[in-house]
Amino acid sequence: MTIPEKLNEWIKAGVHRIGEIEILRDVHGTAFVLCHHEDVGLARADGFGNLEVHSGPDAARDLSLLNDAGEYRFAKACQDLRRGWAMTLADMDELRRALDLFYPAALGLNAALENGHLEIENLRDKLDRQTGMYRYARNISDAGAQRLVTEVCGPAHQCAKRILWRIDAETPLDDSEASRFPGIIGGVSGNEALPLLCREACNHFVAECRRVSKEEAAAKSS
Amino acid sequence: MPFVPKPDSALLIVGHGSTENPDSSAPYFEHADEIRRRGLFAEVHCCFWKEEPSMREAIYMIDTKNVYVVPDFISEGYFTQEVIPRELRLEGPTTHVSGKTFHYCLPVGVHPSMTGLLLRRAQEVAPEADPAETTLIITGHGTGLNQNSTKAIRDQVDLIANSGAGYAAVTDAYMEEQPFIAKWDELAATPNVIVVPFFIADGLHSYQDIPVLLGIESEVGPAASQREVFRHNPHHLRGKTLYYSSAIGTERHIADVILDQVADFDRLHHIA
Repeated sequence: MTIPEKLNEWIKAGVHRIGEIEILRDVHGTAFVLCHHEDVGLARADGFGNLEVHSGPDAARDLSLLNDAGEYRFAKACQDLRRGWAMTLADMDELRRALDLFYPAALGLNAALENGHLEIENLRDKLDRQTGMYRYARNISDAGAQRLVTEVCGPAHQCAKRILWRIDAETPLDDSEASRFPGIIGGVSGNEALPLLCREACNHFVAECRRVSKEEAAAKSS
Repeated sequence: MPFVPKPDSALLIVGHGSTENPDSSAPYFEHADEIRRRGLFAEVHCCFWKEEPSMREAIYMIDTKNVYVVPDFISEGYFTQEVIPRELRLEGPTTHVSGKTFHYCLPVGVHPSMTGLLLRRAQEVAPEADPAETTLIITGHGTGLNQNSTKAIRDQVDLIANSGAGYAAVTDAYMEEQPFIAKWDELAATPNVIVVPFFIADGLHSYQDIPVLLGIESEVGPAASQREVFRHNPHHLRGKTLYYSSAIGTERHIADVILDQVADFDRLHHIA
């Protein structure tokens, strides 16, 4: 089953949320309308409740680029997506393209998870393959990595992804708000939303591992 | 020669991206949009080293079995020879992995058609400058990490110098190795100097760092998309007239260079 076919199946099964995005169907005479989940009432209202309306998926890149404070959102699962807009989409292909821009690869990762094809990479595997300036990141202790998860990941640090990886095959993440976050925002149930998935530590986390491993080495030698 | 459509293949454009500059990935998406509009591939996707989707995530976005990977990079070097093959698990020009066949093309910056784009960009930025009184400087990052990283620029300098374009001089210059772009006025004997950044995006280096090295700005300014006033050429600095263009990678015809690299791959590896 292709990703657009899978998306069609999810929508028919009642999925209407991914990350901070709400997917509305059959409103305003268009196949789909996307909006921030806190703007649903406005998006359904006449005249889109004065939301800024965009036609087609291309605006998704600009809408997801900066937060309200004008800060760059290099991590798209950050819970600071701008409000105040709606996007009309003509068909499933446009919906897929818009969601790929708002949450890159999230549809494909969910499809692979359901199919049993998702390859999860534990932190040690990720760190061990780093080269160049990030090679040093592999020296981080398990305790340092566990602490870093609580300091960098999860909703307390604005990341809305469900962490799937472990430190290594034998070492799960310690229980914390970050490690148990389901990847779904806004109080909807699991069958109404596609979770945002973290199949391996992101480059921001790797850069933080490098910083901590250097601090650990400095502490040992002092 | 027109590009033969590949309705059974996907195109994966790989870029660097940035966690600091919001404009860094814009050209890659624009090149992808342009190629997607032409309907030449079953799917067109982008992936990045520093942004999302990562290279390993992007594989999950692709339904098609046959994938052409084109590094939207300026040179062969650390990223194209180490990072991209490692992340996508590529073992040669063609690799079968994760149930897909990946064809790994050369980066856009080493394609011969870049010469024409550089000349056109130089002409556009300084239409009134007489080439006979003008030095054209192609500038890049430069790094001690990989000697190949400056080869693409040196090759282009040679091609332009022998192209009959008529510039008094054509030279290369770098941010972090000699000849240094900060000494652009000493590198040029002519009254006019055109500097074209051999970068893909108007990101941190070409839009924020190099203008300081050139003397256009006194300190590193905000990103291009966050400025209220755009810079205007020419700049009268250090006794010369300086024209500074946007990065060559923002040229919309880079989409054609991406297609050229796919077509060249097929020709070189006899793929019908």
